[in-house]
Amino acid sequence: MNIDQARLDANWRAITIELDAPRASRPERALRRIGLPSHVTRLVGATPALRRAWYLAIAGVVFVGLAATDADAPRQSVLVLLMLAPLVPVFGIALAYGPNADPAYEMQLATPTRGLRLVAIRSFVVISISAVIVTSVALVSAVARPYAAAWLLPALAVTGTSLMLMTWVSPRRASIAAGTSWFVAVLVAEQTSGALAAFTAIGQVTASVVAVVSIGVAVRRRSSFDHLMAAT
Amino acid sequence: MIASDIVCSGVHHAFADRDALTGVELRARGGIVTVLGANGAGKSTLLRCLATLIRPDHGTVDVDGLDPRREAERIEIRRRMGYLPQQVGFSPGATVFDVVDYFGVLKEVRDDRRRRHQVFDALDRVGLADRAADDVAALSGGMQRRLGMAQTLLGTPSLLILDEPSAGLDPDERLRLRAVIAERRSSTTIVVSTHLTDEAALGDAVVVLHDGRVRFTGTPQALADAASGHTWVQTELPPPNVRASWRLADGRHRCLGAPPQGATIVAPTIEDGYLLLVRSPD
Repeated sequence: MNIDQARLDANWRAITIELDAPRASRPERALRRIGLPSHVTRLVGATPALRRAWYLAIAGVVFVGLAATDADAPRQSVLVLLMLAPLVPVFGIALAYGPNADPAYEMQLATPTRGLRLVAIRSFVVISISAVIVTSVALVSAVARPYAAAWLLPALAVTGTSLMLMTWVSPRRASIAAGTSWFVAVLVAEQTSGALAAFTAIGQVTASVVAVVSIGVAVRRRSSFDHLMAAT
Repeated sequence: MIASDIVCSGVHHAFADRDALTGVELRARGGIVTVLGANGAGKSTLLRCLATLIRPDHGTVDVDGLDPRREAERIEIRRRMGYLPQQVGFSPGATVFDVVDYFGVLKEVRDDRRRRHQVFDALDRVGLADRAADDVAALSGGMQRRLGMAQTLLGTPSLLILDEPSAGLDPDERLRLRAVIAERRSSTTIVVSTHLTDEAALGDAVVVLHDGRVRFTGTPQALADAASGHTWVQTELPPPNVRASWRLADGRHRCLGAPPQGATIVAPTIEDGYLLLVRSPD
């Protein structure tokens, strides 16, 4: 019997490759189960830099959750929750992208995947996880329950502002500037229009406008994400 | 696969406090081009410009007729390119396989099976296939560098840009790296930066970069020949007007510059040529 040695070797190699390839991580397998294609789940699951962002998001959420359960000071509790919650995704992204956060940043930048796409995927992951956990924590707190979703649009606005600023300065500076602006905006709104003014209907509309404009600017200036960012 | 054609014309780039590149001209198609220079000479900046990661302040970079200032063309250049930066690092928590597979996704190899094959091929080439399931944190610095090299090989690039690829590698690892580079030589344009003259000698062409300016472009032999007639050995202490001198193991001094009458002229090496060049006035 004739044996095609080359074909046999190729088949054997194909089998060993399938056997040797390590199993995908748990978060990645979970994302595949909900229908995301494997090349997308790989972008999310195989980037350890992202996990730090997740940990930060979870730690931040636990903190704000605890802060929001003070029944003796309901107004302050809710304000703390609503002020801090939008910062979770912003600092999560700063810890997931850029030369300071990701040691493989420069190698990734040199690939055909656009920088904006990478940062958008990471932002989406961080925001989604933050949204699920912060909202869940808020829902179990009687004090915060009416405002459980009030932080979402502001979070999108602050995150969008941070992404927009990243087209000029480092992710770290961008997140600090966006976070500080958010704090100032909430405090000014509280002083001028009363408690929780930033989370009323007008506040939500303002947040929507800021989100759309800032994300629009970031998309327009997307080529900045394709070039080396400043480290600090 | 046809090797990429790269052309740099009048490339100038400055950082806040200094000029990193001034009027750099470079042309290459196929084979190995080594960019030789001291630390701070501008090698990494030049390679980052070639890799489309930095926009030069002035001048143009052209790869296969594509202009990296245009978004779509920049992406197309990156499809054809493998890039290894000087600083290679990976966050712990991912396996060796995961890291290279992740880069396979970034390089648009969407099909899982095809990507797995490419990943194992690349890991095989750099001698890390048997470490595929290990956490990257368990790899030595040299192994991490080889892992960085593995990701450059995905997608069969026609242009490889390697910034000091052998930094931190032991002699065996360096040999392996040279073999990987050599087997790509005929089908790929490979730009390698180094500050080691013996590595520059392995290239088909050498570009000497000094203070951000190109001081020499030619073959390694031509660089060595630049010191022909200007390299001598003597037993006495060298005169103060030599460009460079150092003591040899046999106690004599090797000198570069204008030789005195009756000096024992010796055949120059690429190191002699390089030192004479960078220590001469512009």
